Amino acid sequence: MGLFRNLKAAPVEKRMSAELEKKIEAGKKNPFGFAPYNPDAAEKTGYSNYSYWGSTFRVFFKNKLAVTLLIVLVLLMAFTFIQPVLPKQHKANLIINHPITGMQVSNVPPALTTVKAKAPKGTELIVKEYGDEQWIAVGNVLSDVKAREIFTVIEYGKDYCKVDYNGMTGYVKNDFTTQLKLPADPYKVPYESRSGFKTKLYTSPVDFSNDGDDLFVEKKYLSISGDTAVTTEECELRILPDDAPFLFGTNNLGQDLWALVWSGTRTSLFIGFVVALIEAIIGIVVGVLWGYVRKLDRLLTEIYNVVNNIPTTIVLILIAYILRPGVGTLIFAMSLTGWVGMARFIRNQIIIIRDRDYNLASRCLGTGTLRIIYRNLLPYLVSVITLRMSLAVPGAIGNEVFITYIGLGLPVSTPSLGNLINIGRKLISTSHSYQLVFPTIVLSIITISFYIIGNAFADAADPKNHL
Amino acid sequence: MTKYVLKRLLSAILTLVIVLTVVFVLVRQMPIEGYFDNYDKLDENIIQAKLDKMGLNDPMPVQLLHFFKNLLKGDLGTSARYSVDAPITGIIAQKAPVSALLGIISMILAMALGLPLGAAMARSKSKFWDKFGTAFIVFVNAVPAAVYYIYLQSYGAKALGVPMLFNRSEWQTWILPIFSMALGNIAYYAMWLRRYMVDELNKDYVKLARAKGVENKKITMRHVFRNAFVPMVQYIPTSLMYTICGSIYIESLYSVPGMGGLLVDVINRQDNPMVQAIVMIYSCIGIIGLLLGDLLMTAIDPRITFAKKEGAR
Repeated sequence: MGLFRNLKAAPVEKRMSAELEKKIEAGKKNPFGFAPYNPDAAEKTGYSNYSYWGSTFRVFFKNKLAVTLLIVLVLLMAFTFIQPVLPKQHKANLIINHPITGMQVSNVPPALTTVKAKAPKGTELIVKEYGDEQWIAVGNVLSDVKAREIFTVIEYGKDYCKVDYNGMTGYVKNDFTTQLKLPADPYKVPYESRSGFKTKLYTSPVDFSNDGDDLFVEKKYLSISGDTAVTTEECELRILPDDAPFLFGTNNLGQDLWALVWSGTRTSLFIGFVVALIEAIIGIVVGVLWGYVRKLDRLLTEIYNVVNNIPTTIVLILIAYILRPGVGTLIFAMSLTGWVGMARFIRNQIIIIRDRDYNLASRCLGTGTLRIIYRNLLPYLVSVITLRMSLAVPGAIGNEVFITYIGLGLPVSTPSLGNLINIGRKLISTSHSYQLVFPTIVLSIITISFYIIGNAFADAADPKNHL
Repeated sequence: MTKYVLKRLLSAILTLVIVLTVVFVLVRQMPIEGYFDNYDKLDENIIQAKLDKMGLNDPMPVQLLHFFKNLLKGDLGTSARYSVDAPITGIIAQKAPVSALLGIISMILAMALGLPLGAAMARSKSKFWDKFGTAFIVFVNAVPAAVYYIYLQSYGAKALGVPMLFNRSEWQTWILPIFSMALGNIAYYAMWLRRYMVDELNKDYVKLARAKGVENKKITMRHVFRNAFVPMVQYIPTSLMYTICGSIYIESLYSVPGMGGLLVDVINRQDNPMVQAIVMIYSCIGIIGLLLGDLLMTAIDPRITFAKKEGAR
């Protein structure tokens, strides 16, 4: 293609340059004639199609990490709103009772399905008292074996041993937790053995129970005779008859952590956005007045000195202590001091650009003050404002976590990330630590994304980086 | 210079008075239960008599005057619920040294780790240390401290094999609280030192020194670091403030018998006089921190002048 163009272009260029030379010669004779068209000179007009926002976004989209996080954040925020209308969702504060046993389904570990195990055809199961028309509770625990009780091993397996215990034949786990006492050659059966810890006698070498609790199976797959049942075909054993799983598990009260986390994310993001918005509005108004109206400078500077002197945390604690805990209180307490930084920054910027020549000219031409502020000054501040707003959101979320820890946060009936983390905090070294991990992950994604996107955007909005 | 110091001092005192007044008036709006140990069991007459005795039924200006008079004598009142009728100054005198000690050690640690990190970041632009430092700073700044402290306590205690709670007589239990407190400041120092050093590295005198053939190490350490450190001085008192604020959380997490833990304690017990006293102390520390920062800055950097430019702004 390139070669082709060159072949064709050469004569044209030659012709052009010949024409040009002729005209230049003519121009030397007659300086007042028309100047010839010169494509090189046309390039030198200094015209550029530079646009501030275009360049800002171009630089921003070069930052792969920030763009990725932006996509993640947008999807996550969209999901918090979509989640309640998705099918098979639990209400956030609903305490879920088991539809058959009526007990709270507390501390269910996180899982992708409610199916705990699959029983092949011909599995012997023990039928429990709970059930309805369709479902029945089953287990395969024959008996509890106390620690250090003697039983006879009749068949040695790596994971399970077939044993004879009090006249019952079943299987016990053979792993490091049970600490079975075995002879030198465990395959030479039978021999007497005992377990170092409490264990259970199962009907089969697979544990068909939910850590000792019952599982549920549809009756049509079973042939029941008295206390025992045999599966007629392969069937699923579920924790709940319902097939809506607890993706993040449930908490101590039997509430769905998945629903709580998303509801909490909504609350926390709401607080974050409202605080950022209030901060921006008050900060801009005060900052503009402070910078633009000379008479107010003294007064506002003094007010700033007072407000800036008090640690933000202390104001937060004091206000939350005096007012009743709630979303409104938190927003009020955080907005009370948050605007100060924004106002000062805007004031400094406005003082720098207020008396520049173009503003002076604008004023001389009779432009109204409001129009000068709105058209001439504020566009300079957009990047700073968006940066501060994007950093205010994670700040507010962090403050909420802190205030909740002190005991002045939202009531437990209003789930928020702070609440969930504060409850999960006490479970960190237990097997229920997932109740801390999930809120933490969501919170970290949100705060880190806001932080990185905010900084990347501020860098992109700085014209120095637009080359 | 003297004039500036005096003016700055005066404005700090004025701010202090305003802040104390506001805190005092605000705490007076709390329900009166916070002044009694056993409010539910008390007779209405006794409550009123006690309120009279404490002067809480007086008009606000009288109460305020009374409060400031006592404050000048060094009397912050007595605790109502936390430790009934014990003078607050006594309680705080017991707790404050622990907080101060932890805070100072963690500040030293933060400087010992943060400044070298910042310098290393500035020297190795977009190499390992810069990337590592940036990731660290982003993490510390973006993730709420309340969250990573929890993990640090639990997993740190496991990894080091030390108890989770603070115990004064066991030095091992000091490690985690001090390190946690220092984390924020390490990031803070590293971030600002890097920024100032990068600014400084682009200046002409560095180019000249390089052209003259001065060793790179010598330039960064002797010239750039020194100049970049001057604006950092201003942050030291402020970050002391940060340490103290962070310590509210850490002290209560590790049950350190200090001021921060005390604040959380008295808030949960709704002890009004104690909350008032501690909030006031924290505000004072904040004000003094900023004051010291400004004064230190003026004392150290000879380039700052105090000739007021009238109308030039």
